[in-house]
Amino acid sequence: MSAPAAPVARQGGRSGGTATRGTDARTPARYRRRPQKRLVFLLPAAVFLAALSVYPLIQLVRMAFSAVTAATLNSSWVWTGLTNIRTGWASGQTQQAIVRTVVFVVIVTALGMALGLGGAIALRTRGRWSGILLAVMVFVWALPPVVNGSVWKFLLGSNGLVNTLLLDLHLRQTPAPFLYSQYWALGSVAFVSSFAVIPFNALVYRAALLNIEPEVFEAAAIDGANKWQEIRHIMTPAVRPTTLVLLVLTIVYGFRGFDFIYVMTYGGPGTATNTLPFLGYLQAFVRYDFGLGASTSILAVLGVLVLAVVYARSIRREEADR
Amino acid sequence: MNPKAGPVATLVKVLLSLLYGVPLLWIVLTSFKSSADVFGTQSSLLFHPTAQAYRESLNADLVHALGQSALIAVGTSALTLVIGVPAAYGLARTTGWLPTTGLGLLIVLQMMPQTATVIPLFQVFGSWHILDTTGAVVLSDSALLIPFATLLLRPFFRVVPPELEEAASIDGAGMLRTFWSVALPVARNGLFTVGTLIFLLAWGEFLYAVNFFLTPGHYPLSALLAQQVSAFGINWPGLMALAVLTSIPILVVFTSTYRLLRDGLTVGAVK
Amino acid sequence: MPALAALGVLALAACSGGSSGTQATGSSTGGAQAGGQTITVWHYFSDPNQVALMDKYAQLFEAAHPGDKVVNTYVPYDQMDSKVVAAAGSKTGPDVVVFNGAEAATIVLGGGLLPLDDYLSAYPDKAQLPPSTLHVVNGKTYAVQGYVNLLGLWYNKDILDKIGVQPPTTMAELETDMQKAKDAGYGGITLSGLPNSQGEWQAYPWITDAGFTYDNLDQSALANGFTRIQNWVKKGWLSQEATTWDQTVPFQTFAAGNVAFAENGNWQMATAKANAKFAYGVVPLPISSTAGIYLGGEGEGIGTYSKNPQLAWDYLTSSYLAPDGQLAAASLVGSLPSRLDVAKNSQVTSDALLTPFATEIATVGAAYPSAKIPPAGVAAVQTAMGQAWSAVIGGQQSPQDAAAAAIQAVKKASNG
Repeated sequence: MSAPAAPVARQGGRSGGTATRGTDARTPARYRRRPQKRLVFLLPAAVFLAALSVYPLIQLVRMAFSAVTAATLNSSWVWTGLTNIRTGWASGQTQQAIVRTVVFVVIVTALGMALGLGGAIALRTRGRWSGILLAVMVFVWALPPVVNGSVWKFLLGSNGLVNTLLLDLHLRQTPAPFLYSQYWALGSVAFVSSFAVIPFNALVYRAALLNIEPEVFEAAAIDGANKWQEIRHIMTPAVRPTTLVLLVLTIVYGFRGFDFIYVMTYGGPGTATNTLPFLGYLQAFVRYDFGLGASTSILAVLGVLVLAVVYARSIRREEADR
Repeated sequence: MNPKAGPVATLVKVLLSLLYGVPLLWIVLTSFKSSADVFGTQSSLLFHPTAQAYRESLNADLVHALGQSALIAVGTSALTLVIGVPAAYGLARTTGWLPTTGLGLLIVLQMMPQTATVIPLFQVFGSWHILDTTGAVVLSDSALLIPFATLLLRPFFRVVPPELEEAASIDGAGMLRTFWSVALPVARNGLFTVGTLIFLLAWGEFLYAVNFFLTPGHYPLSALLAQQVSAFGINWPGLMALAVLTSIPILVVFTSTYRLLRDGLTVGAVK
Repeated sequence: MPALAALGVLALAACSGGSSGTQATGSSTGGAQAGGQTITVWHYFSDPNQVALMDKYAQLFEAAHPGDKVVNTYVPYDQMDSKVVAAAGSKTGPDVVVFNGAEAATIVLGGGLLPLDDYLSAYPDKAQLPPSTLHVVNGKTYAVQGYVNLLGLWYNKDILDKIGVQPPTTMAELETDMQKAKDAGYGGITLSGLPNSQGEWQAYPWITDAGFTYDNLDQSALANGFTRIQNWVKKGWLSQEATTWDQTVPFQTFAAGNVAFAENGNWQMATAKANAKFAYGVVPLPISSTAGIYLGGEGEGIGTYSKNPQLAWDYLTSSYLAPDGQLAAASLVGSLPSRLDVAKNSQVTSDALLTPFATEIATVGAAYPSAKIPPAGVAAVQTAMGQAWSAVIGGQQSPQDAAAAAIQAVKKASNG
């Protein structure tokens, strides 16, 4: 960080400290007259992603509308229009997978966002416990899914720690079928997936909370604000842009959730945890019907595309509010 | 910042401590078991600890893979930030259909199943003759993480007060200089956090590494970890011991950035 | 024997010289010149005993070809097929691929393997290789097998002694024994109920015992087989948790000592030796003589873009297909040799754990995958049957519904 930066930053901090409803709530007219010059900052990313990300995306879309198997992957693909999507739909697996994906996404998003923000607020305080807990959470977050998934598979097993506790405390007569009942399994993998996203959300939220100037809290304390009022009137508005992007990222994370299903249930029992990404994997990389698998993946992308439009519109509104 | 924690905050902390402490404890305990003890119910807490899994893991391969992992993670973090940070700033400071479309595209790219990108990227790297190089893995990891980093960084630039940049440009600073010496320092909490996250994600990335490296000895730690699980057997103590070992550098990186974050805050609080 | 091998090399050097189409890649010097060549072998083994076997194979080859070198490269099991196919798309890849034999069709259709027919027809020991160990796709042979893997019934002798029974030889005995084991506080049996090809592989003996085959597609027979397994769950002999188990975890659970039986493979011998603190043994699965047990194992083939396919073939003949290579596999990982002469070797026939498996091969061994299923439909059929198997164990579907769904899926996959 260059030397002259610090005083400017501090100055910014002071001026930002007076605003309690969102620190980014003002954009002077002068500034808005010439913003488009800054599009140049997008250039490196545009070039890089065009070279390495757009081609796979186009290939995926092409695949979804073509007959592609292991035999034809390395040769030319025959365009078949909507055949793949119709095949998936006719089998009935697509519809079931959509319902399961929605349930999965709702659980992951609700738990991930609530405990992410709650965790960040609780861990905002300085002290050894907060520091160690945050380190533990990040440590666990960074472990590969095969490790976290296996650990939870053990913990949730019929002889696992959770069931041992439930039986010893006489909360249940028989072990809870966390991973092998068709009704519980989806909830269990969704819980473990949210377990794996909470540290990330908490860490990002924490960084956003750290941006609120201490003076804001001091002023609020002088006004006699209690904890809930601090959270409602200072913290939640201040992290609103972060909430928006985390919400999008968490929903996307839920929509592409694959690793824990793979490690913990392999889509089972039967097909009870076959969500869109897992179904797409089975079709593309187990059955080697790349076209069918791509069409299933495309459906998930379409679902997220709706989300992307909502996000873009809410950002427009955020800008129009200025 | 309020240093005292209320009862609700304490409750949340207890809950999170259990939620993350218990699995971690379980991982560490398993790493000190012999493989015969892993499935014995009576030995869940009472067992003869052995460091065998660690002794077997600590060898020249591990050190070599550690170097590969460091190279990949540092390279990916650098490239991702160099490209993603300006993009996030640009998206935070422009309006109109172009940046809006850009944001939407980033979300769609973020949604791409990673498995679906392996085969097309294999073709690209094959035609560039960079298969089996660390560069290919760094490039692919960066392509994976740039949309993510950009989306995540944008809000941190949104909260940089535009008056600051106005003031700097009135003082004669150019667009690049304003970005470098005004916007970046204010967004530093976000930069450190996102940088740490990118580093950790690149450290753990596995699918690209096992596909784009063709010769042994190039694999990073994440691929060594995968070798503990095979169709013919799972070495549970070995898996857990390697997980602990490979994550220690992660802890070091995180702890140091955590300090930075906390100290950064202190600097602000003193004024 | 070495003389014969040398003869084979000479014969093949002559016929491969003209047909080599991969000289454009540059570093290839062509032919089987002595010294300085490298053979890259892609495999998915990480178990220490299996890694030791790969090292042993490398030694055998390097001893026969001084100066040449073998580089064993680990590729995760799940990535193997797609990596070979993706590499073939970029005109690269290994010299030798060691893969799940059941998935030969996928790799072959994806252009990852060279036909071996020319090499095999010149191979003097060809008569020793049973046709069931050669992987033929669309009329050409693409892979050989150095050994065979299959399932048997492992038993915990300490538990059987305690409940006073002998290892079962019929299904009725097995079910009586599991009930006795349960009454004494033990688990009955462990097996895999994973909704994928592993589940199908483990289901096959039981569903064929009930009369189902991929030839007759008898829905009521399949439902009967499913009813039996669901009954095992209801009686408490088999944990419903089996739906989350691959083939490794149930055996580790068995090896922990609290379950009477395990349906598992010969490759578990090392795990049993290392982990089981009780007396154990193996008997053939107590299925009828008309039922079947799949004969599985890894297929070994030559990569399409091998720079030196002749030398790759030499690697196969001096390791996987050589008698001492096959005996090494038997002693290191408990594999059953594929060569007819080696299978009769006293080292194999005197092994109490290997003989029950050898008996099974002779009586109920079945081609894996079933020849009835077209190559392109194999994975779809296995997945659908594995899902039905898992759904029955997990109680997601009734045996009748699961059987109907599975048969429908099999019919669809078989028609293309």
